[in-house]
Amino acid sequence: MYRKLAGFTLLAVVITGCGVPGGPPDTQGTEGTGFRPVDANAALLWDRQTLETAELIGQIADEFNSSRNGMPVKVEHLGGYTDINRKVSVSIQARTLPAMAVGYESMTSEYARARAVVPLDPYIEDPEIGMSEEDLADFFPGMLQSNIYPQLDGGMYSFPFTKSVLMMYFNKRVLRAAGIESPPKTWDEFLAQCRQIKERTGVSAYAVDIDCSTLDGMIYSMGGELVRDTESLFDQPPTIRLFELLATLAKEDLAYRIQPGTYDDREEFARDRAAFFFRSSSHRPYTAALFGANTDDWGMAMIPQANPEAPVTVLYGGNICVFRTTQEHERTAWEFIKHFTSPEISVRWALGSGYLPIRKSAASHPDMQAFFEQWEFNRAAFDCLPYARPEPNLVGWQEVRTLVERAAAEVMNGLKEPAQAAEALKRQADAAIAAAR
Amino acid sequence: MNEWFGLLGIVIASASILALRQPLVAILDSVLERLDSRFERQVWCRQSDTAMAVTLLFPGLGILAVFGFAPLIYALYISLFDTRAGAFAGPGNYVRAWHDPEFWGGIRVTIYYAIGTIPATLLLSFGVAWLLFRIGRGRGFFRTVYFLPYVTSAVAAATVWRVLLRPHSGYVNALMEALGLPTQLWLIEQRGVLHLLTNGWIGPEVGPSLALCCIIAFDIWHASGFGVVIFLAGLTAIPRELEEAAIVDGARPWQVMTRVVLPLLSPTVFFLAIVSAIKAFQAFNSFYALTNTARSTDTQNLVIYIYSQLYESQNYGYGATVAVCLCVAIVGLTLVQWRVLGRWVHYE
Amino acid sequence: MRRHAVAYGLLSAGALLTVFPFVWMVVTAFKPDSEAGAMTLDLWPSAWQWENVTRTFQVAPFALYFYNTFAVAITVTLSVVATSLLAGYAFANLRFAAKNVLFLLVLATMMIPFEVALIPNFLIIRGLGWYNTYAALIIPWCANAFSIFLVRQAFLGLPKDYFDAARIDGCGHLRFLLRVAVPLVKPTLVTVALFAFLGSYNALMWPIIVTSDKDMRVVQYGLTVFWGEGGVRVNLLMCASAIVILPTVAIYFAAQRYFLESSLSAGIKG
Repeated sequence: MYRKLAGFTLLAVVITGCGVPGGPPDTQGTEGTGFRPVDANAALLWDRQTLETAELIGQIADEFNSSRNGMPVKVEHLGGYTDINRKVSVSIQARTLPAMAVGYESMTSEYARARAVVPLDPYIEDPEIGMSEEDLADFFPGMLQSNIYPQLDGGMYSFPFTKSVLMMYFNKRVLRAAGIESPPKTWDEFLAQCRQIKERTGVSAYAVDIDCSTLDGMIYSMGGELVRDTESLFDQPPTIRLFELLATLAKEDLAYRIQPGTYDDREEFARDRAAFFFRSSSHRPYTAALFGANTDDWGMAMIPQANPEAPVTVLYGGNICVFRTTQEHERTAWEFIKHFTSPEISVRWALGSGYLPIRKSAASHPDMQAFFEQWEFNRAAFDCLPYARPEPNLVGWQEVRTLVERAAAEVMNGLKEPAQAAEALKRQADAAIAAAR
Repeated sequence: MNEWFGLLGIVIASASILALRQPLVAILDSVLERLDSRFERQVWCRQSDTAMAVTLLFPGLGILAVFGFAPLIYALYISLFDTRAGAFAGPGNYVRAWHDPEFWGGIRVTIYYAIGTIPATLLLSFGVAWLLFRIGRGRGFFRTVYFLPYVTSAVAAATVWRVLLRPHSGYVNALMEALGLPTQLWLIEQRGVLHLLTNGWIGPEVGPSLALCCIIAFDIWHASGFGVVIFLAGLTAIPRELEEAAIVDGARPWQVMTRVVLPLLSPTVFFLAIVSAIKAFQAFNSFYALTNTARSTDTQNLVIYIYSQLYESQNYGYGATVAVCLCVAIVGLTLVQWRVLGRWVHYE
Repeated sequence: MRRHAVAYGLLSAGALLTVFPFVWMVVTAFKPDSEAGAMTLDLWPSAWQWENVTRTFQVAPFALYFYNTFAVAITVTLSVVATSLLAGYAFANLRFAAKNVLFLLVLATMMIPFEVALIPNFLIIRGLGWYNTYAALIIPWCANAFSIFLVRQAFLGLPKDYFDAARIDGCGHLRFLLRVAVPLVKPTLVTVALFAFLGSYNALMWPIIVTSDKDMRVVQYGLTVFWGEGGVRVNLLMCASAIVILPTVAIYFAAQRYFLESSLSAGIKG
């Protein structure tokens, strides 16, 4: 009986390829050892776009493929950012990766820690397929900056891909009904307007999607910083002020949370059951679809500020990273990225989706000009770009994101006092960052 | 187009099997006979059926060994490593779990969930089965209806529930409003259900949250049909004469129930209790589909915690450690049930 | 009938509660866009939008997903029946060394949550070169402890005389198993098949992990497409849910004749 048991165990251990417990020995890999490509004959891009935008990016990839000989690019939908993140994590374990994937900076830094992504600097500097100085200067500096990872030898491990900024969407029908002329510029005004809307119309003004990027942007706009070196700053007054605002809004029934992972805030907004929601500028076309011809009933603006003289919002949206697979996959991936971020495609993507062009020159493109003319708020997000700041790209930030969302939910649910929540958040965030190092 | 040829092939194949049934059966018989005699000629088969057993067990146990048993060994193995640092950690991860409030929170949620689902599911399905057993007509209809949720995928069913339970404008809240009741946040309400029921008299962190209660309600809804069908099968198997004899002897209805029906049904209860306990400790789908994982600790059971450690924090060693603890808990619980309930079980 | 008025009342109330989500799902599936997401108690749509079905099929290639799902689920079902039949028989009727230990080990695999086995199993799949193949979707699910357990119990429930009589007639194990015993435990096998089918059909996590090719997607994945940033169109989502649920309900109806006599109860004993 024991012999059989031992046999079983042995079999099991042999089959699981023992000796490689989880991630670590992988991370010690030498430069030469690549990951196996998921598809040997195509450069896969794991993406999150669905419906119309998925079609557009598919089209761009098809055109890219037919414009050149060599390995084709294939776009695969894997779900949202977190789905892609999970799938990539598991794939890193299995040492089998696509050519590239979209993700936040915090995700890329995790992959880079496992030495699964290649720095793009050699490609950018490549005389043949690289980018010139003028080319690089055409990108908004903040966008490039957030893809340089100081903790990871300062390499550029990802590239701006589908970028957007945090915006405030306002429903003019509700504002008019409450007798409000223009959307709030400061957080004090925001609170006052929410109260006025509740009083005059009974509508809870703000439909809240608890999302870390949104909260980060709000902390920025409260005059705050998120991190200094590797220490989080959530115990500072800006975060506490934000949490106090959220607590007040919830307590007075001026704001309500929606289920995370849904887009109910936009739906409620379009049904006049909310006056404000805060989302990425990429929600513009979807919101427009809900309002149809009533283009005068809603708008977008810079989020409220502590100091409207020096506004700040958060720059977010996806970057793209290239995985360490084969030379050909990596090169194809880079060429596709270069193609996708070229001035022409960048404008086309921005117009077809709700994302922002990532190049300054886009503003003067005739199509873009025509687009700006169409509707007064089509410019709004683009105008916010100079004030948009990226989120931290620290290793471990991915875990911090969950912690931030938890803290905000607990504050709005009345489970924790704002100051106490901010204090606890700082402690947990620091611990997570320290553990990840 | 290819798939249509495949389909056509299946149709033709099954038709010809039907047509050639008799000769095929004869061939099968002779083949089986030959195989059987081969096995019996094996020298080492004199005392036992080892050769036959190895052959029959191989396909099933082979797959289980690779995909069911090996992962357990693997989990045990990597639980001894700090996979982030890439170093052997010995019992380090276990010590960490002992001091980890989220680990204990996960245990708390798991226990709340088990207490919330198991007795309620058992009682409810027994009650329904009992009523179905009593009535004559319509039994088949009702049984089908009650079993319906069980055959639907948790993902699809949870999708429907999520939409119904939307915090601001869901159908359930509309119903609450129409009935003059306060609307609730349902799946995103982290405060304890006791806190809400007692109007704040009990602290919000005591007891399961309303969100957790929604998940419990979902699973009671989703899984009760299984119990109904099994209880009904058990009830139908009880000889009517026993009951009638008891009634003739002047037993009251509840005496018939406690003295005759329940003891005869005890193997069924035993089976369901063990299976649903294992299921409760492994619950994942409903948690995952109804809430967004890792967002809030009040709906984070151990499996969800393991999941987020493995796939979101990439903490493989620590995730495996928690998993090993969970497996130990499940084995322990099953053994305890086996001992405690097993004594009470009555076999004819 | 009147004697059971209370029972019927209670059962109907329970049944209403049980089916309500389904009724709501089906009704919502055919609502116009403007009514689907609204907070209203009106159950009935103002106009039935039958074209929602075609719209749903346009969002995702459900025909392909159904093909994949059925190919996988049917193979898994047949294999589970085969493996558990053989192993269950061995555990019930054969004499061999370490039988009880082996059986305990089989039961032990039930104690591991599937999510925990995800990474090691993924590593095995990758090692075998099965990533993005049907094999990855099928093989790991071709045997499970619960089915083996049920079949073993069903065999134990058979009177020993059957076997002894067959033995005297010179009937070997294989012939006895396939020609005599299988028809006797048919209800259990149907039950096992039903559970295997449901498990495979309803799986989402594993297919997402071991496949990435869009041609390898399964129906449950089809539901996730509706949660994209473009917003959730509740009516189409409900329509898709109904489409996904429909086959399992149909199969349950077909199988339930056996399922009821199901000797689950017989299997439970012992």
